[in-house]
Amino acid sequence: MENRYFIDNIYMENNTDIRNMEFVDNRTIKLDKTINDLDRFVLKFIRILEKHADYVIVSGYVSILFGRSRATEDIDIFVKGLNKESFDALYTELKNSGYWCLNAESTDEVYSYLQEGLSVRFADEGETIPNFEVKFAKRKSALMAFADALTVIMADDKIRLSSLERQIAYKRYYLKSDKDLEDAFYIENLFKERINLGKVELLQRMIEDEMA
Amino acid sequence: MKWLKPGKDNREERMNFVEYWAEYVRTHHSNDWSRQQNIIINSQLQSARSVRLTPRQYLEIKGEICRR
Repeated sequence: MENRYFIDNIYMENNTDIRNMEFVDNRTIKLDKTINDLDRFVLKFIRILEKHADYVIVSGYVSILFGRSRATEDIDIFVKGLNKESFDALYTELKNSGYWCLNAESTDEVYSYLQEGLSVRFADEGETIPNFEVKFAKRKSALMAFADALTVIMADDKIRLSSLERQIAYKRYYLKSDKDLEDAFYIENLFKERINLGKVELLQRMIEDEMA
Repeated sequence: MKWLKPGKDNREERMNFVEYWAEYVRTHHSNDWSRQQNIIINSQLQSARSVRLTPRQYLEIKGEICRR
């Protein structure tokens, strides 16, 4: 029964690209935009993270990247579980590049939080906001976000995001705040010819199963 | 492009705007929409950075652990 959730993106026949957002293939979007301070903040962190870990950005930043007219104080990132050695290398590089972890100083402590399924936050050293809320993907729905992740190409950089359908379902059926419902509605309207509504429904069922 | 439809209440008003803005982004050059979006994002970021919360104060608000 679990395979029912693994329906791939099946795009509609109308493949008209949105202005400045070119679908290179079903899972790759080339985005031409004037980057802002938040994008710069994200790209700098991702350049380090991707050297050490498989990651996917979820939640608010996804809709903001595609133009939603709001900001955020934190960028949510799922990371595929790392062993201690790999995490130490990531943590060391982050510290050497001017980041600090808001939750604790010691690598052992930060790693133990992640192992427990808690999220930890990284920010520019001495700052608190904005920050990256990093979590090891442990639940089935979080792990599946890697399987159908979207790659966004911006100039020389690439960012991995959870799929559009996953964004809509997670925000509409799990988070459900006004802000999240608006984010889901925005993504749905922006990419209306490209959203697989059947997949959103399947993800809704999966989320409801996990919450039950 | 359609005009922005006024809402009966705050929620409908906001949703109408979200729909309107999505259509704007779909149909306008990125220089146009990202210039407008960047005003909001850059200024909100600047304003958030000016609030000097320590990690402990910030994480207490969030209900998260801080051992710093």
